[in-house]
Amino acid sequence: MDDRVTRRELIKRAGAGAAALGAGGLLSALGKGEAAPKLLPGHPLAPYESPITPERVEFLKGKPYRGVTINVMVVKATVGDCVKYHAPHWEAETGGKVNIAEVPIETLHQQIFTDLTTGLGRYDAYQTGAWFYGDFFVPKEPYIVPLEDFLKDPRHPYWVPTDQIKSMRTLYTWEGRQYGALFDADCQILYYREDILTRPDYRKRFKAKYGYDLPVPPRTMDEMHDVADFFTGWDWNGDGQPDWGIALHAKVNEQGFFHFLTLAAPYVISPENRSFWFDPDTMEPYINSEGHVKALEDYAKFVKNGPRAMLQWTLGQGWNLFLAGHSVMEPTWGDLPTLAQDPKASKVKGKIGAAQIPGTKRAFNPKTGQWKSYTLNQVGNVNGGSWHLVLSRFSKNKEATYDFMAFMANKKNALFNAANGWTGVQPSMPYEFFPPYGTATVKDYEQYGWNAHDIKVYLDAYYKDLTNPLQETYLRIPGAAEYWHELDVNVSAVLAGQMKPKAALDDVARKWQKITERYGKDTQRALYRKSLGLE
Amino acid sequence: MRRSRVLQYVFLAPAVLWILLLSVFPLASTLYYSVVTYALGKGVTGFVGLGNYLDNFRSPTFWHSVWITLVYVAVAVSAEMVLGVALAWAVNKRIWGQQVFRVLFTAPLFTMGVALGYLGVTIFDADTGPVNYFLGFVGLHPPWITTAFWGLAAAVLLDVWRWTPFVFLVALAGLQGVPPEFYEAAALDTRGEWPVLRHIVLPVIQPVLTIAFLLRLMEAFKVFGLPFALTSGGPGTSTLVYSALVYLTTLQFFDFGHGSAMGVFFLVAVLVIVLRLFHVMRRQLE
Repeated sequence: MDDRVTRRELIKRAGAGAAALGAGGLLSALGKGEAAPKLLPGHPLAPYESPITPERVEFLKGKPYRGVTINVMVVKATVGDCVKYHAPHWEAETGGKVNIAEVPIETLHQQIFTDLTTGLGRYDAYQTGAWFYGDFFVPKEPYIVPLEDFLKDPRHPYWVPTDQIKSMRTLYTWEGRQYGALFDADCQILYYREDILTRPDYRKRFKAKYGYDLPVPPRTMDEMHDVADFFTGWDWNGDGQPDWGIALHAKVNEQGFFHFLTLAAPYVISPENRSFWFDPDTMEPYINSEGHVKALEDYAKFVKNGPRAMLQWTLGQGWNLFLAGHSVMEPTWGDLPTLAQDPKASKVKGKIGAAQIPGTKRAFNPKTGQWKSYTLNQVGNVNGGSWHLVLSRFSKNKEATYDFMAFMANKKNALFNAANGWTGVQPSMPYEFFPPYGTATVKDYEQYGWNAHDIKVYLDAYYKDLTNPLQETYLRIPGAAEYWHELDVNVSAVLAGQMKPKAALDDVARKWQKITERYGKDTQRALYRKSLGLE
Repeated sequence: MRRSRVLQYVFLAPAVLWILLLSVFPLASTLYYSVVTYALGKGVTGFVGLGNYLDNFRSPTFWHSVWITLVYVAVAVSAEMVLGVALAWAVNKRIWGQQVFRVLFTAPLFTMGVALGYLGVTIFDADTGPVNYFLGFVGLHPPWITTAFWGLAAAVLLDVWRWTPFVFLVALAGLQGVPPEFYEAAALDTRGEWPVLRHIVLPVIQPVLTIAFLLRLMEAFKVFGLPFALTSGGPGTSTLVYSALVYLTTLQFFDFGHGSAMGVFFLVAVLVIVLRLFHVMRRQLE
């Protein structure tokens, strides 16, 4: 792609960007029936906020949170490091203090809900995974509070929730109300070595073996398997060691199950069926349908295309194989291309391709019990934590806590987060994507060390996934962590050869029925139907 | 007299309070939760009698976890007893560096199980770990923590490395309590160390070894940090020891009902095993 921009093009894009920013804010404000806020591009009192309201500037003059301390629980991971990075900036602006407690991801759910269910309420805000949401709303009075009232107050950092891409914004809301402040936006797409897949000699050999051109990128699951098989077991990167077709981070209890959720979606989600988890009428699990079983059978075939050790690899270990140049593909989160920009950790900077997860030519409808053929059934996803802060109802400093949440959601900080790989934050706002989707420029990312080619392919594929009208719905009902754990454990058992796919998923279905009974079938069904937009 | 009685109660009070708070109350609470259903955010939702126990007994995951734990305990504790006694026997001689060896053999006892488990993730990595690097020289390449058998094997090996020193210390103390005249008398009747060890020394130090064995047994049944840090219970549930299952059920998913029932079952089962062993060993000693 030609990076050179003519003056005419630059003016055109800048004008479009400014118009889009202004129009977006105007439309968002008008959509709420409110006057568009007056915005300043920045102010010396708030060097980390842009844009900023005049009311905010006035508010900061008095160091409004002097003497106020807020306690925040975060994940001990990159996304937690990002919160720690912003805390001193907010403290300098407002006079407040932030105490941050880091918790390993394995115990985050337990720690959050122990604090809440016991009523201890030691924390003002929690960095939550999107799949914990259902558990916040089980009691009559939810454990977390909505943000609308704070959003109306121009003294807080400015950000517009409705600007967020819809599929992602859903994960920050519950029954139409906003509970999360913009932060991370996870989805899984396919990353691959574009330089390797486009090598003429390898393409020739692929065609000789499989009878069709090496697809760049693979568009179907069958093509993905052929590409993985082709690049497994020989030295295609010239380092003298055999290499691999795929890298996975499949360790149980470590988010490995997201691989299955992502790769299984096109086997079950289709224009005729939007429900991946349960029958929305009866709440009977769909997880052991023919489509899910076929998806798991195919997913298990990938085990031979990577090191056996990947069955117990955490995220970082799985990413390392690709970053070190030893695997040709990896379906995973946006952390991978961002980490690839670090020359100390990566040998693949400038060599990355990115695409939506391959689709299928047949999908199963669990409701009708029928398979149906498609030209290409490709499904988007928002799989992942999409980590963000939520405000505890026990907080005695709700206003200050929201202020800190909104500070990180402000455009300047949000764009910084999305552009810097070490933050673990991925984009979901228009100003983070390139035209025609948004208003960002390549320079916005290049200044943080991004390779121009990599950021373009990454953001293009990311946007297409998030805006794919056919989406795998996130499981947003109480007990989601437990439902997913049971699936995680049995998927891991299948990958390790301990269970057959059908038996594994039948067992999962039985366990899911028990969980549903414990939470109350009627309640779960009502919430599940709402999450699908059926009520 | 009355004042003396009041003083007695005052001095007894902390111990009684301790037992009530840390033993009686948790036990009573566990028994209560084992007969009800509990859901996160809703609290107790109903009385189910023995329903939680029956659900557990019908669960393949539950029995698999019991089996894994029994295998873990049997192999690890047996190996620790044999190795600990062997090392103590070897060190309990006038050899060069005796004191140094005693310190070195004791060092692993001061490691933390969780830390050891996480270290195991690196050292047992099938492709890049040092264990397989050295085993590669003899043509071996076990797929350590990625399979059920080898995952459990790695956890047991680390456990043996960590707890053998405990048996070593106890056995060494026992050996040093054997009167030298026993060895002198044995030397008149036999040559070789094995007959002396088997027929004279082991019977003399059996009470001490029994204590070590029972302590290790009870501790091993509770194992959690090391295997969970090493494998997170995976692949699948192949290394999910019983304590880890109880932890996940009760504290991760707030299913206090089934988790408490698991806890009560564990208490009863271990009590039965330990009391039976006590009885057998007491009869042997008599």
